[in-house]
Amino acid sequence: MIMHELGMMESALALVQRYATEQHARRVERVVLRIGTLSGVDPESLRFAFDVVSRGTTAEGASFEIESIPAVVFCRSCQKEFKGDNGGFIFQCPTCGDFCGDLRTGKEIELGRLEFS
Amino acid sequence: MNTETATPKEQSDETYSIHPLSGAATVAARTLSAPLSAEINAALDASPKGEVAVRSLDLRIPLLEKNDILAERNRGYFLGRGLAALNLVSSPGAGKTTLLERTLDEFAPQTKCAVLVGDLETDNDGNRLRRPHAPVAQITTGTVCHLDASMIARAAQSIDLAGVKILFIENVGNLVCPASFDLGEQVRVVLLSTTEGEDKPLKYPPIFKSANLVLLTKVDVADALGFKREVAVENIKRIAPQARIIQLSARSGEGMADWYAFLRTLAGAR
Ligand SMILES: Nc1nc2c(ncn2[C@@H]2O[C@H](COP(=O)(O)OP(=O)(O)OP(=O)(O)O)[C@@H](O)[C@H]2O)c(=O)[nH]1
Ligand SMILES: [Mg+2]
Ligand SMILES: [Zn+2]
Repeated sequence: MIMHELGMMESALALVQRYATEQHARRVERVVLRIGTLSGVDPESLRFAFDVVSRGTTAEGASFEIESIPAVVFCRSCQKEFKGDNGGFIFQCPTCGDFCGDLRTGKEIELGRLEFS
Repeated sequence: MNTETATPKEQSDETYSIHPLSGAATVAARTLSAPLSAEINAALDASPKGEVAVRSLDLRIPLLEKNDILAERNRGYFLGRGLAALNLVSSPGAGKTTLLERTLDEFAPQTKCAVLVGDLETDNDGNRLRRPHAPVAQITTGTVCHLDASMIARAAQSIDLAGVKILFIENVGNLVCPASFDLGEQVRVVLLSTTEGEDKPLKYPPIFKSANLVLLTKVDVADALGFKREVAVENIKRIAPQARIIQLSARSGEGMADWYAFLRTLAGAR
């Protein structure tokens, strides 16, 4: 699984460096990833992967944070959203009892925010 | 930095904004717009010490692994050629090759099909699927327990896709790893056979969750095995409410018409 996280951090770091250059940054101060609770990505592995891939770059030593994005599911019958974090991959609407597949958030694996100095 | 003279930009058609005091820049678009760089350069020039306060960018860019990038490339390639690619995933022996053999015999003579088939060691499945009217390429993965997008890209180059409307990809028999490897397919088909037990979807949710179509296979032997079809269907619906479900048997022929109708719609949509 760590292979996944390493691959992702490699793409993340490529982006970070592109923006750092574009912004004439001296240093990258903060990197925030947005990770959905159902993304299947392990936050600890990401942290480890960040340390590995940032070594020797402008992002080395930057504060690395993970913003956890909760799962939100949309029920078509009720036309409203509900929290999908309980019960693994089964999303059952608490109002009408329908099983729903329309996951609105919770699968994110994103570069969220960057701060430079 | 002289914050007094900085004026906030209020143009609504711009996709970014810079806070006049903090210097924080916010971008909604995926790529940084050129004016934003220009603005930061201007702020740099204006500041006596040649630096601005900590700047931040809100990006929200999806991170793609190498496989995802190649998968998107495959998807574009398939769409451009006007063909629908189906990724068939199941436990070992759920009936992928048998289903494809019959499909090539009955369906492919009318609608041109091609097959890419992955296996750890042998080319047995490739040989079983060889037909004069349908190009087949065998991918031997060695120790790798799933197909990935780069294998598909290479194998797709090796066969003649002219006139092909449907490209079947038989994945390596495995319900775990193929879930996380997008091949660039339009349709992910997960097969569950009646020899496996009704609770498979509950035990392997990620792969079922990612399915567009679930095939309940070998229904000819369901009764003999005491396999409860309704229970299996109920479990599939819980995990994968988004998926179409077709119950079929490549041996008795039950449900094959529904499968062909599904394929015909796909081929027609291209
Ligand atoms: N009764 C019955 N048996 C079937 C059916 N389809 C396949 N089988 C049998 O199931 C066994 C495995 O079938 P395959 O088609 O080779 O399965 P597969 O999913 O391609 O297997 P791998 O490629 O090894 O993962 C064979 O013995 C088939 O004869 C069916 O509809 N009914
Ligand atoms: Mg097979
Ligand atoms: Zn509801």
